[in-house]
Amino acid sequence: MPAVQDTIDRVRKIDVDQYKYGFQTEIAMDKAPKGLSEDIIRFISAKKDEPSWMLEWRLGAYRRWLTLEEPTWARVHYPKIDFQDLYYYAAPKSTPGPTSLSDVDPELLKVYEKLGIPLREQEILAGVQKTDASELEEPSDNVYKSGRVAVDAVFDSVSVVTTFKKELAQAGVIFCSISEAIREHPELVQKYLGSVVPTSDNFYATLNSAVFTDGSFVFVPKGVRCPMELSTYFRMNEKNTGQFERTLIIAEEGAYVSYLEGCTAPQRDENQLHAAVVELVALDDAEIKYSTVQNWYPGDAEGKGGIYNFVTKRGDCRGDRSKISWTQVETGSAITWKYPSCILRGDDSSGEFYSIAVSNGYQQVDSGTKMIHLGKNTSSRIISKGIAAGFSQNTYRGQVSAHRKATNARNFTNCDSLLIGDQCGAHTVPYMEAKNSTAQFEHEATTSKISEDQKFYVMQRGIPEEEAIALIVNGFVKDVIQQLPMEFAVEAQKLIGISLEGSVG
Amino acid sequence: MNMHSIPQRTQAETALIDAFGERLSLLPGDGAVTLKRDDAIEAIKHGLPTRRLESWHYTDLRRLLTSVPAFDSTAATKALPPIVEGSAILAVLNGVSGAKFPAIEGVTVQRLSEKLTDGSIAPGLDPYGSDDAIGALNTAFVADGYFVDIADGAQLEKPIELQNLQAGGQVHVRFPVRVGAGAKAAIVERQAGEGAALGSSVSQVVLGEGAEVTWLIVQEQPETATHLAQFKAHLGKNSKLTVFFMNAGGKLVRQEIVVRTTGEGADFKLRGINLLAGDTHTDVTMVLDHAVPHTTSTEVIRNVVTGKARGVFQGRINVHQYAQKTNAKMACNTLLLSDDGEFSTKPELEIFADDVICGHGATVTEIDHNHLFYLMARGIDEKSARGLLVKAFVAEVIEELDDEAIVEALETRLDDWFVAHG
Amino acid sequence: MLEIKNLHARIVDDGTEIIRGLNLTVKAGEVAAIMGPNGSGKSTLSYILAGREDYEVTEGDILYNGQSVLEMDPAERATAGIFLAFQYPMEIPGVATMEFLKVAMNEQRKARGEEPLKIPEFLKRVKEAAASLNMDMAMLKRPLNVGFSGGEKKRAEILQMKLLEPRLCVLDETDSGLDIDALKIVSDGVNALRSPERAIVVITHYQRLLEHIVPDSVHVLYKGQVIKSGDKSLALDLEANGYAGVIGEAA
Repeated sequence: MPAVQDTIDRVRKIDVDQYKYGFQTEIAMDKAPKGLSEDIIRFISAKKDEPSWMLEWRLGAYRRWLTLEEPTWARVHYPKIDFQDLYYYAAPKSTPGPTSLSDVDPELLKVYEKLGIPLREQEILAGVQKTDASELEEPSDNVYKSGRVAVDAVFDSVSVVTTFKKELAQAGVIFCSISEAIREHPELVQKYLGSVVPTSDNFYATLNSAVFTDGSFVFVPKGVRCPMELSTYFRMNEKNTGQFERTLIIAEEGAYVSYLEGCTAPQRDENQLHAAVVELVALDDAEIKYSTVQNWYPGDAEGKGGIYNFVTKRGDCRGDRSKISWTQVETGSAITWKYPSCILRGDDSSGEFYSIAVSNGYQQVDSGTKMIHLGKNTSSRIISKGIAAGFSQNTYRGQVSAHRKATNARNFTNCDSLLIGDQCGAHTVPYMEAKNSTAQFEHEATTSKISEDQKFYVMQRGIPEEEAIALIVNGFVKDVIQQLPMEFAVEAQKLIGISLEGSVG
Repeated sequence: MNMHSIPQRTQAETALIDAFGERLSLLPGDGAVTLKRDDAIEAIKHGLPTRRLESWHYTDLRRLLTSVPAFDSTAATKALPPIVEGSAILAVLNGVSGAKFPAIEGVTVQRLSEKLTDGSIAPGLDPYGSDDAIGALNTAFVADGYFVDIADGAQLEKPIELQNLQAGGQVHVRFPVRVGAGAKAAIVERQAGEGAALGSSVSQVVLGEGAEVTWLIVQEQPETATHLAQFKAHLGKNSKLTVFFMNAGGKLVRQEIVVRTTGEGADFKLRGINLLAGDTHTDVTMVLDHAVPHTTSTEVIRNVVTGKARGVFQGRINVHQYAQKTNAKMACNTLLLSDDGEFSTKPELEIFADDVICGHGATVTEIDHNHLFYLMARGIDEKSARGLLVKAFVAEVIEELDDEAIVEALETRLDDWFVAHG
Repeated sequence: MLEIKNLHARIVDDGTEIIRGLNLTVKAGEVAAIMGPNGSGKSTLSYILAGREDYEVTEGDILYNGQSVLEMDPAERATAGIFLAFQYPMEIPGVATMEFLKVAMNEQRKARGEEPLKIPEFLKRVKEAAASLNMDMAMLKRPLNVGFSGGEKKRAEILQMKLLEPRLCVLDETDSGLDIDALKIVSDGVNALRSPERAIVVITHYQRLLEHIVPDSVHVLYKGQVIKSGDKSLALDLEANGYAGVIGEAA
């Protein structure tokens, strides 16, 4: 199992609270003044050359936001955020609008290189190195044979570059920053933006609607299977800057797309706010797979600093037989508040949620999903694996509901928690609501620690304690890891090992 | 009790606050008791709980409690024959305990009105949390009930049946019960009546070391009554408590079960059935605290929903940081039999200790079609076959109780319900 | 190779003494059978040899090649060449048997300062070992021991033993739960490992296994002590007359 081996090797190389992506970069930045007001929103909108409908939409959301209160129901605790003490816009000076890699600030390219994200198309064309593991395992259907990935790189508030645009365009796929989409494809944006997560949805989503600065836009037209994985890498760099990205993915009838996102941020003493909104729309027979490896800076060993990750992600299975699948590996952030959900509106539509949430140190995770069954014969599946170590609190919160007309709704939920050490907490809060007599819901949850018997057995074969635990934990999360595209699966396993580093006493 | 400010009181809130002003001088109790009552009504003045309060998520009491009947001291009712033959009956009729009650060997019984009057019960009147609306309502208005003390080592051969029978108006009763070390007892808590009452009933049980108690709650209120009940228990070292509840009536029902293990080796079992019919709302909310190491619990809840009934089960298991070696398992299974019915489940685990085994399962299903087909293939018509399967689904829980007389008595009540609602 | 001297050990949790002054010597190349009635301490002895933390050694010592192993953790003992074939092998969900074998083999190699095995070499070794035990390679892609039948689990134990090439093999009730065909295959697997450099300790309740794995010495364990030692004829004697006679003699 090379991933485990790598994990151990990497763990050995780093100190307890050393976050690999914690460096910061000196890049000339263009910033809006601190604070939030209608003028700041006008400034952002003007910077991005937006049409007036977009500005009005933002202002509407801002006015609504002023009337909302911060939610308090999640099991997370943090000092009150001063929303006037943040920068809402920060962009590298060389923008706007690099059209090719050669236009991008070389410093920026170095950042992404350092993060291990290849932005140079030729490098990716060479194909992804196969790992040892692939020889032992059947190749997964998820892996694109070519191993190519198109990347949209978002640095603080703006998208700096999107690769493979031309080739995607040939297939009819639009993959660009949302700012560009607002300018170039206003009819699509106007039709779908806010149609899944309305501007009035919740405190953070409403804030995002007012001030979002960038994010990715994907449109896969009718009948098209997107020829490669699409991915966005988010990087927060500037101090005191909120990152508010907005992602919109539309799969028309019969279309298919697999999308990955990865996130990192520098190591800083103060907390940084990240409040993103992701909207997915799947029409008849369309399928969207959305995978996340979230590794925002979690704070140091004493719980100082780290990202507040308050995210609204929702997919709308609008068409019959459509399918939306969320897979997430959450290892970073000081606080995570995130519930990627599916609205199963179309008949025979299905939703999936696969999650691994690892918390260590003083991290707080409150994450889960909502599966709202509205159409007939809809089905959903939830697999959640929580691992709590150190002084962390790890909560699964999920809702499954079948409405009156959701005949034959089906749900299966499994959430397992693993505790490592006696100073952490694992919590499971599922809500199940059935209003249709033909609904069938099944929910099971367990909480336990790593069994001493298992550990003894593994160690008896000559495997040292820390690695024995990594091995058992990787087994525990296997069902979810298998849902990830190969490149991410290996990365995710490494991350889990690193996140748990120092937890074995 | 509600942290969100509420601009205007509902009719029910106003009625309760007014009733308190009128009733206070008539309620038994000295200064200490009155102080508790004052605190309790203050909580109600802050507003009845709404769905924004997590523990009341599915039962928005502020919205659901639409009217509050006046107290009616003239209404009459009489004691019922006990569920298990030969039980000693302690009846509270229209909120008033009897001056005479049967002598039970090893058991001391006292009217609660006396303990309110002399103030000795005052320390037990505190609500258990800021969201304890039932506790507050009861503390404000409680006038009677029974205090039962089962001596150390007493082995009761026949159950004690506590009857709370309402005849309309408002009824607020309380049953504090102490079970001595090594004592063994079965207690039936009977909640019934004939009027459109608003009632609150609080049972408080403390189990001494090695005590063994089976506590049955049989709730058969008419479909016009609002029934707000609470069962609280502390489990001492090596004690065993089995609580069985059957909800088979009421218009608006909330049964809270609040249990805490306070001694190592304690074991708690909860078995319950909700038989829901008509246009009613029934909420069972359990909060179980495993507060010390080496304690165990299992909970099995079965629900049958017909008509326009709405059912709720919330079950939270808290495992405290030092409660290592806790073993807790909870299951909630629902048969939804009508398209207008609904059931919501929230089984929660809150775990702060690492060396534990905890789990919960919940299902909402239809009748198993294979089973149905099998029975029909043996010549049983569909209606009867369905009836058999539904009954078997809930009867399973009853059969787990190991007292034959109790099992038989409960199965009779179950049959009655199916005859009335099948 | 193995020298157990006046060993006393108890359960950490409740202090119950299980091993009460046990002496045993097993030389390189020897196959020693340990027999005894239920509750005599046989399985406990195997756990203590492998370093399970639930037991505490209060007196005496265990020498392996002349060195005490008491301060070594289970992984260190395994790397030094002590292998325990479990009576009840643990299930490890999500970890493919193949991955597990690779990690275990390479960890041991690393501890000995050897290079990790190249994939083709690893696969070759596993295939050969599996074939000799009549095991299907498809089984090795499944999570370790999860859903394996009793016989499959025991075979998987012997497979691990073959691949890890230990110096001291301890087999705890390896015959339990095996039908006669599986017993033959497992025994052949063990016999193939007999060599002048290796010692094998076979713990069993019945003589049946010893018809297939013929021991050089037989030791009777009772109440945490070896009360009688002899050659293979002792096992036959126990089979014919039961433990009562031997226990009576010792008492």
